[in-house]
Amino acid sequence: MTGTKKIKFLLIIALSIILSSCSSVSNVSVNKSFPDVLFSPKELKVAIIFTDEFSQFVGKPNDKTTIDLGLSQVNLFKSAFKGLFTEVYFIENTDLASENTDLIISLSNSDVQVATPSENYLNVFEVWIKYNLVIQDPDGRTISNWFMPAYGKTPSAFLYSKENAISQAANVALRDAGAKLLLDFYRIPAINQWVKKRDQNDQKL
Amino acid sequence: MIRNCKSLLFSICSGLLVLSGCSAVTTVDEFRPTNQAIQINDSEKVVILGRRDAGHYETDSEFIDCVANRINSADIRVVAEQEFIDSIYPWFEPRTAPKGLPRLKRLMQEKSVRVKVDEQSIRYLVWLDGSTETMGQGGSISCAVGPAGGGCFGFAQWDKLSTYDATIWDLVDLTEKGRLRVDSEGTSYLIGAVAPIPLLTPVKSDACSSLGNQLRKFFTVD
Repeated sequence: MTGTKKIKFLLIIALSIILSSCSSVSNVSVNKSFPDVLFSPKELKVAIIFTDEFSQFVGKPNDKTTIDLGLSQVNLFKSAFKGLFTEVYFIENTDLASENTDLIISLSNSDVQVATPSENYLNVFEVWIKYNLVIQDPDGRTISNWFMPAYGKTPSAFLYSKENAISQAANVALRDAGAKLLLDFYRIPAINQWVKKRDQNDQKL
Repeated sequence: MIRNCKSLLFSICSGLLVLSGCSAVTTVDEFRPTNQAIQINDSEKVVILGRRDAGHYETDSEFIDCVANRINSADIRVVAEQEFIDSIYPWFEPRTAPKGLPRLKRLMQEKSVRVKVDEQSIRYLVWLDGSTETMGQGGSISCAVGPAGGGCFGFAQWDKLSTYDATIWDLVDLTEKGRLRVDSEGTSYLIGAVAPIPLLTPVKSDACSSLGNQLRKFFTVD
């Protein structure tokens, strides 16, 4: 290879590297550990269904962004549900529920959205995650079908890469999901009534 | 000789003019219910938290760390913000953190929360709320690169305003001990004279040091 050819070859490689780094596809991974919750659980035995789809969920808010939420959201909800109920176990489908289970809760992702500074005209990245919780009694009757939105944003877009900013915002959104679940679960009217009725039945016995 | 002196004087004057143009104007206002300093003993700690519930801005953790470091250097022990928030999850998340004293009083009635606060010996909680924003921009600067070399030419300027409020809560008495507000404003310049020369006004840094120093004066270590 002559000197000129070598230079051309190197230029083509350099240009390819520069152009490939200009593509704006973001594959975002999120923090996978969350703090223990400080909450007083109620005396209930509850089965939580984490399907494979939920455990391996990758959110696609748009064509250019994917957020790997699966393991992070499983870890978060494992911790959060232990704050809500004294006895919690995790299964992959309803058939695996054991006897004397009070409630069966199955979770799914309903929606994931992302807003960047160019879209929201603010100096922040935002992430919304919407969950669907189907809460059933042991006989399979649906007590409530609860849609739970969670929201997170970065402090500032300045000095963050897009991936890092979305990751941080998604982490805040997951923490928000845990907080909302803990604080609002027993405020769901159908759940509130179900718990009251159960307590009355226990007192009669 | 005289000519040399004149050019030296001119250089000093223009240097001083440029440097004085880069200083921030900072105002600190404070409110205390009493004139007495807030007592804190060796075993008690302070936690400084940022408000993060506003839609369009968020009190950044860098500013909170800066104020915490200022207070820490005055023999007042400060608990790291994230450490406290994690230890008490989910009660101090943006959605759940108490916005006023009535909510704080209800929260502190939760036995587990009270135990966790006592375990960490936290006596005072300082809320910081605010942000640094670019207010106005002017001028223009352009850079170019050619076979013979490159350079930037032009002049740009922008104004920055830092506004932060601090509210001090006593976690034992469950009362408000005082409020502080700091406003810091300044103009930064970028001069393009072949190489870009930035003359930055440390608006946020000034706000941090002023707020930190004033907060230090609030407390008296027993």
